Amino acid sequence: MSFHKLPNYVRTYRKKSGFSQDELAFLVGAKTGAKVCRYERFARGPSLRAVLAFEAVFEIPAREIFAGIYRQIERDVHDRSVILIRRLTIAGRGYLTARKLELLRTICARTATRPTQRP
Amino acid sequence: MKRLSPEICRILAIDPTTCGFGFVVLEGQMSLVDWGVKRAKRDKNAKCLAKVLDLIRQYQPTVIVFEDCSGRESRRHERIKEFLEEVKNLATNNKIKTRKVSRHTLKKTFASERASSRYEIATVIAKRLPDLAPLLPPRRQPWMSEDARMHIFNAAAMVLALISPATASQQMAN
Repeated sequence: MSFHKLPNYVRTYRKKSGFSQDELAFLVGAKTGAKVCRYERFARGPSLRAVLAFEAVFEIPAREIFAGIYRQIERDVHDRSVILIRRLTIAGRGYLTARKLELLRTICARTATRPTQRP
Repeated sequence: MKRLSPEICRILAIDPTTCGFGFVVLEGQMSLVDWGVKRAKRDKNAKCLAKVLDLIRQYQPTVIVFEDCSGRESRRHERIKEFLEEVKNLATNNKIKTRKVSRHTLKKTFASERASSRYEIATVIAKRLPDLAPLLPPRRQPWMSEDARMHIFNAAAMVLALISPATASQQMAN
């Protein structure tokens, strides 16, 4: 049995850095700490600006701060890659198609090794 | 005692206080996810249990660790014993494994590092988990009551006692 990653680790990194929710909210450009609290309780998804702001504050890659969300997206991309491989294989051959297939197979190989993320 | 393999677990450890409980959440190779003290006034067991349920819902732990108070030498209050029994039932209802750690096991685990008192064990924990170091309270004097933050260290100590010694020494090396 394996555990799945949490949607985000904002609370973990905030506590490690010693910031309060209000201070972190100020840093990422939110009005109050309530928004940070909602991120920490997984009650709200982050905007792109918020994700990049968290990365800038903690100096940790966004895919580590939002590990669970990243894994889910990675899995979805994997599933769509499989579908696209099938479509391209049926469509025909050519230099460009071969390049696309190579890239898609790399994506599939990379994500297949990771544990499945529970919804 | 059956040891835990931390790389496949998210562990929630709870240590009750007189007015709430201290907790830590760890996952993977002993990385801290969350820690703190939850407080409750009046009808403490029901309120604390609600807070434990919140933690379970948020972190979905694979294992819940708490103190084994069943021993004859345990001086824990009846309320605390009832609370821990309720936590066990809550875990069972949510299909989560539970592990109990006695004070005796804790002392035995940390004896090799010459830590026997709560404060000495907390000092060892602060070295192993540096994120907790700022929370280490001053050594308790006879006229002082115990700092609530000490229960965070007690909770962490129970988890360290449960993981394999190899992992613990690897954590020390890192």
